[in-house]
Amino acid sequence: MAETDNHKKTGDPNNYFPVNKSYIKRKKIYNRIAYGFAASAFILGAFPVFHIIYSALIIGYKYLNWRFVSTLPTGFPIGAKGGILNAIVGDLYLVVIASCLAVPLGIGSGLYLSLFGKQRTNSVIRLLNELMIGIPSVVWGIMGFYIFSTNAGLGFHFGFSALAGGLTLGFIMTPIVTLLTEQAVHRIPASYIEGALAMGATKWQATKSVIVKAAMGGIFTAVLLGVLNIIGQTAPLLFTNYYNTGLPTGITGPGGAVGDIAMLIFIYIHEPSHILHYKAETAVVVLLFFVFALDIGMRLISWLTVKIFEMF
Amino acid sequence: MTDINKNNIDNITENNKDEIKIEVKNLNFNYGDYHLLKDINLFFKKNSVCTILGPSGCGKSSFLRTLNRMNDYTEGSKLTGEVLLDGKNIYSKSVDVVELRRNVGMVFQSPNPFPKTIFENVAFGLKIHGIKNKQFIEERVEKCLKYAGLFDEVKDKLHKNAFSLSGGQQQRLCIARAIATNPSVLLMDEPTAYLDPAATATILDLIADFKKFYTIIIVSHNIQQAGRISDYSGFFLDGELIEFSKSGDFFTRPKDKRTENFITNRF
Repeated sequence: MAETDNHKKTGDPNNYFPVNKSYIKRKKIYNRIAYGFAASAFILGAFPVFHIIYSALIIGYKYLNWRFVSTLPTGFPIGAKGGILNAIVGDLYLVVIASCLAVPLGIGSGLYLSLFGKQRTNSVIRLLNELMIGIPSVVWGIMGFYIFSTNAGLGFHFGFSALAGGLTLGFIMTPIVTLLTEQAVHRIPASYIEGALAMGATKWQATKSVIVKAAMGGIFTAVLLGVLNIIGQTAPLLFTNYYNTGLPTGITGPGGAVGDIAMLIFIYIHEPSHILHYKAETAVVVLLFFVFALDIGMRLISWLTVKIFEMF
Repeated sequence: MTDINKNNIDNITENNKDEIKIEVKNLNFNYGDYHLLKDINLFFKKNSVCTILGPSGCGKSSFLRTLNRMNDYTEGSKLTGEVLLDGKNIYSKSVDVVELRRNVGMVFQSPNPFPKTIFENVAFGLKIHGIKNKQFIEERVEKCLKYAGLFDEVKDKLHKNAFSLSGGQQQRLCIARAIATNPSVLLMDEPTAYLDPAATATILDLIADFKKFYTIIIVSHNIQQAGRISDYSGFFLDGELIEFSKSGDFFTRPKDKRTENFITNRF
């Protein structure tokens, strides 16, 4: 190392502070390189998002009107005329059914992991949970088919229906809600729960009246990310719900199947028809809009809930 | 040094045995392989202020937490010995932890109000014990805030979030919260550590005032404070109780060389 004789003559004249000029030059360059790397990583990472929005709008804008989201598909091949109302309604069914399963299960296990469980059991549960997140969605689809759609598993026999599809999606959503709920609770200062326990609260009282309220924003985010994850799933629905060009007449059995935007895109893209290809891109725009609206809406709700809960 | 402990305890015992609120007998506390508290024996007298002094990591906070069983939740910990509160061992199976903690209030190092309104913070302790009478709750909240010397400052914003208060006010709110359940013992874990001198002075005045209602045990590493407010002082070092005696003797005629070193700031 080129230790130079340069030194700053400040402070005690008998001591000196050796200045390595070349090192100072280098560390500034390293700083710039790190900054450049981080910025370019961000741009590269964000590029696909902008590309998807751009290309979907460029191709799909033609059909983007109120009729597209408010009418059922008609014509030949089916969808050549009309809109995608079946898929929008279907997604609503699926998200509601999946949330009915995943929200209580996910939040419950998240709270258990962060507040009640013992360290050793927790690490096993966490491992299983992460494993569940890693299971390919097509495998979930086969499991859902076996358990919910057919008679073979537990004898549910819901057929290809919203209930079978929604419950399968619920199983995909649960580990995500669990993981994020646990993280949300971990972000809360330990002093909150200690303060409550020290006053004679039971763990459940502390959880219900202090922890859940403080973590409300984080728990909402957990549910939101779970919903956003399942809203774009197609593989599990292939085996449990498939697709319905009309509105469902129930949630199980024949007529219980629902449309789904992601599934609709998958099907339209495979049809030998330019109109359907365009409409698939329009559906992408609608799906992105819903994701965006859901995100904003949930943030608003979470913000409001936090504000309201602060009062009680 | 065990001999010195025994001597101190004997002195206090001779004075008056009925006045003893908490008696700690042969208390050992292990965390994993780490022997955190080694054979602690001491007394706390009714309506007195006791300060536990010691350098960081000497086990004084852990000791305080054994007195209301907050260490129950520490995984891998093991406790032997007895803590007698009004003559009853708080570690015996018949003791209800919820009732114990109602009776033994605790104030923490950093102010930790709940993310609720000022009113709800104080009312929390009543609600978790099943009190639903609104009038009673309102009266008790007002009374506790008055005791804590906070009522005049917050009476117009009782339904605002507790985080809108200053650090010193938050800590007094935590004190009001701790006394809402009408405990007979107050444990304080360095209650003034994060406060400025003015707020500290207010809290210390409160503590001196509270003596008539509660037995107060404070953990501190501030020697001046301890000398100012406490009737009894103890010195912990590496998990051992080195010395425990009346504050007058403790600060002017320490029996152990290590205590002397500590109070003359040689640690």
